[in-house]
Amino acid sequence: MGRLALIARLVARDLRHRPAEAVILLLAITAAATTLTLGLVLHGITTGPYERTRTATVAPDIVASVAPANNANQPADLANLTPLAKAPGVIGSSGPYPVRGMTLRTGDYTVPAMAEGRGQAPSAIDRPLLTAGTWARPGSVVLERSFAAALGVKTGQTIFLNDRGFRISGIAVSAALPPYPALCNVGCDFVSPNLPSGQPGLVWMTKTDLLAGATPADPVSWYMNLRLANPASAGTYATAYDNAHTAWSAPYLVSWQRVEVATSRVTESAEGVLLLGSALLALLAIASVAVLAGGRMAGQVRRVGLLKAVGATPGLVAVVLLAEHLLVAAAAACLGLALGWLAAPLVASPGAGLLGSADVSVSLTDAGVVVAVALVVALLATVAPAIRGARASTVRALDDAARTPKRRPVVTRVSRRMPPVLLLGLRIAARRPRRSLLGMASVTVTVAGLVTVLMAHAKFDARAAGSGALTNPVNTEVIHMTTVITVALVLLAAVNALLITWATVLDARRSSALSRALGATAAQVSAGLAVAQMLPALTGAIVGTPLGFLLYAALKHQGGMTYPPVWWLACVVLGTPLVVGALTVIPSRAASRTEVASVLQSGAA
Amino acid sequence: MQQEVILAMLAKEPSHGYELRARLRAALGPVGEDLNAGQVYVTLTRLEKAGLVTGTAEPGQTRPDRKVYELTPVGQQRVAAWLAEVSWPKPDLTEFHLKLIAAFAGRLADPIAIVDAQRRELLRRLRDAQRAAFGEPDNSDAALLLEGIVLRLQADLHWLEACERTWTNRRTKA
Amino acid sequence: MRTYLDQPEDQGVNSLLSARTLCKRYGRGDALVRAVDDVDLDVETGETVAIMGPSGCGKSTLLHLLGGLDRPDSGEIKLAGKRVDQLGERGLARLRRDAVGFVFQSFHLMDELTAVENVELPALLAGRSPRAARKRALELLSRTGLADRAKFLPSALSGGQRQRVAVARALANEPLIVLADEPTGNLDSAATLEVLRLFDDLHEAGQTLVIVTHDSRIAATADRMITMRDGAFVDETRLTGGTAGSLSRLAGLEG
Repeated sequence: MGRLALIARLVARDLRHRPAEAVILLLAITAAATTLTLGLVLHGITTGPYERTRTATVAPDIVASVAPANNANQPADLANLTPLAKAPGVIGSSGPYPVRGMTLRTGDYTVPAMAEGRGQAPSAIDRPLLTAGTWARPGSVVLERSFAAALGVKTGQTIFLNDRGFRISGIAVSAALPPYPALCNVGCDFVSPNLPSGQPGLVWMTKTDLLAGATPADPVSWYMNLRLANPASAGTYATAYDNAHTAWSAPYLVSWQRVEVATSRVTESAEGVLLLGSALLALLAIASVAVLAGGRMAGQVRRVGLLKAVGATPGLVAVVLLAEHLLVAAAAACLGLALGWLAAPLVASPGAGLLGSADVSVSLTDAGVVVAVALVVALLATVAPAIRGARASTVRALDDAARTPKRRPVVTRVSRRMPPVLLLGLRIAARRPRRSLLGMASVTVTVAGLVTVLMAHAKFDARAAGSGALTNPVNTEVIHMTTVITVALVLLAAVNALLITWATVLDARRSSALSRALGATAAQVSAGLAVAQMLPALTGAIVGTPLGFLLYAALKHQGGMTYPPVWWLACVVLGTPLVVGALTVIPSRAASRTEVASVLQSGAA
Repeated sequence: MQQEVILAMLAKEPSHGYELRARLRAALGPVGEDLNAGQVYVTLTRLEKAGLVTGTAEPGQTRPDRKVYELTPVGQQRVAAWLAEVSWPKPDLTEFHLKLIAAFAGRLADPIAIVDAQRRELLRRLRDAQRAAFGEPDNSDAALLLEGIVLRLQADLHWLEACERTWTNRRTKA
Repeated sequence: MRTYLDQPEDQGVNSLLSARTLCKRYGRGDALVRAVDDVDLDVETGETVAIMGPSGCGKSTLLHLLGGLDRPDSGEIKLAGKRVDQLGERGLARLRRDAVGFVFQSFHLMDELTAVENVELPALLAGRSPRAARKRALELLSRTGLADRAKFLPSALSGGQRQRVAVARALANEPLIVLADEPTGNLDSAATLEVLRLFDDLHEAGQTLVIVTHDSRIAATADRMITMRDGAFVDETRLTGGTAGSLSRLAGLEG
């Protein structure tokens, strides 16, 4: 018990003496924890609202459709569709309803739309729930809610469908098909030529309005909604049917389970971004903690004599360090959970396509995961320096021989052929290879995040290039979130770079003073220190760029890879080392102010 | 010239006077270069008179260097006693010390000037001894002797530095 | 590559190194310490000057001022006729690189570099070609008798050998003057002898040396010995010329 009290006392003393370090650690791990919490909160956030929407809109278990052939003059075979209403296992149906693809034009956008023709009376199955206005009448249409939100239109406004003007009489929500922009994720069964590119949204109008203007070249498809005796079996039912009937004229069945999956995809991108972002932030946090821990252990081990007076051995010091970091990590986890819970409403929306708001709650499992991750981060980062420090015997500790740099013949051979600044820089970087690797790792992580953002922007720009095209709100959300996370990454990486530089500067004080005594100017030494940081940064940027491509490929849920212009990438790859080099100026300038003589006087052989 | 040194050199075997001198010079190296030849023979004559050695002249020779010298039993005892002695040769500190006090008390001269002069002298001797040592092979007898001289001079110089400090303090206080 | 000397020299100055009214102070008020107090010094080309004095008398500070490792508060220093006390940071670095070689008490070798890599470092920092630097380094190491230890790390060398490597390093860029700060302070007597011999050789070869020491044996190798106390010079002795007396008298043989 006495030992625990001693450890507690030492931890408290350390935290009091080094508040800045503790704060940096706290911030780094909190950033990761918050992002992780948000990601976990988003997981499955659509389930509740989707169930509610299904009930409220009397959603079908299966949506069946027939479409015309792709070549003209082969109309959809309605005779294949209607018998499904009486198929075994089916206890109710509504429709068939005619469906066409149309070009929708507002003042700002020209986008494709899927139009469904409905009667005035509410259907038996699939009753879109109006959240504004009234149902469609001749000359007016009802828009699906997330589609309307993306277009930025309201009831009472006029839009054009296939160049015919319609008034928007209402906005509604339905669970039969996925909301915009995921509508066609389950497959849209309409054939219309010359539609603008982009994802379509759902529009309801009267049958007469829909059928007017239908030509063999612009034919009609038919959609029917089915209710099953066993709703849970809808998935297998639909799959079995589709596998058995593969002719183009046969109906295509989509189960409600598939629709739910497609609906949740809307938030899945955001969830993916948050989870991945939290992983990146966690990696950066590990790097920060490792640098701080490494520097701290070196300092502590030198003061072994002092610590022994308190009753501490190097082993105890390592335990204290570990305890400290775990404590800070636990605090950071709690802080992250709290921040995540507070921020959740901002990101945790099931989307305009579903009714109601999400149940934003941080479950006990979620909290457990976040705390565990935070502790693992602290553990991974601290364990290596702690073990090294614990093993240090007293003699070696006082001798500081444990931290004497190893001989690196290859580096020495290569660097001696280079101009003085590169010589100094290479040798400084090689003295502490682990630290250089940490620097490279943190840049790799940051650049990967930056490249992902650039990819998203490039895709966004490419799409926006087609005038009038609608932005995919999912992509917009992904971009916003990735940008926020990348800003956090960049800030943390900058702090990391400063920390690493400061540690390097302190470490290299003696050799820098010696180099200056041998004739290197202060400017050369500063430049060498900068180069020592810039080389790992450049390597990290080069490695991080393809990683960023991979990350984006993992994050996006549709569409191809649009690569950003080469000069953007070049800016990132070349600019990052420059920024890192600029960051090193502050610590190295501050250190070079000390006169050479005083450093050499105090140093040992 | 220490009488005991000559006696000790005869302990191994009897020798001619000139052989003794040659052996001495080999053992002393540069230090023995300007050794007065006569010194050795004077000492030998004295030792003969004191009954510690016997000198046997070769037929028709009376010169000391041609005599063959040999230890007497008394001489052997003397050598044994000398070898058992542990006293180290005394440096003449007392005289110098009294010199400084007398100079100061009687206002005859500045003690610090005396100290400085002595230091300069010792430094020059040190320089010479060191130079000589460099010319000798390592671990030779001569090198060993010279190292001893150098170290003693160093010790004396340390003491002189202490004298200078003390006398400077006394002067500033006076 | 003597860029340092590419400026016109002053007229009428004979000594290689001359310092006038040098002052360096630390602290203020009651805690004021005059580390170097109004010091004048002249060193001729090829001369060896030894500066002796008790600990804390300011001799190391003086050497640092002369070598451009520190700046004086007042006074002037001229090396080969040019003022060096007012040089900027870059000028001082060039001074340390081309004109002055420094030898420290604690050697200050880079532990992770071999002997030859340590010795060639000043030349590499000065921008010489790697081959020329390596060649010169090997020459200097054989000159100091360490040709067979060129590839050894400092940890594999004795104290005396390490200091000899440090001396070789100080000579790397053919300096005008070599400044040594207590070069034998961390050495035992055998190692001291090694370094002594080396300084003697350097002196014979015509190198200008200023050595700060409290070891009278080192001082005895000099042409001139200066005693320093409390930051000021108090005595000067010329050691060259004439032996003091026969060596046998030294040995106590006569009489």
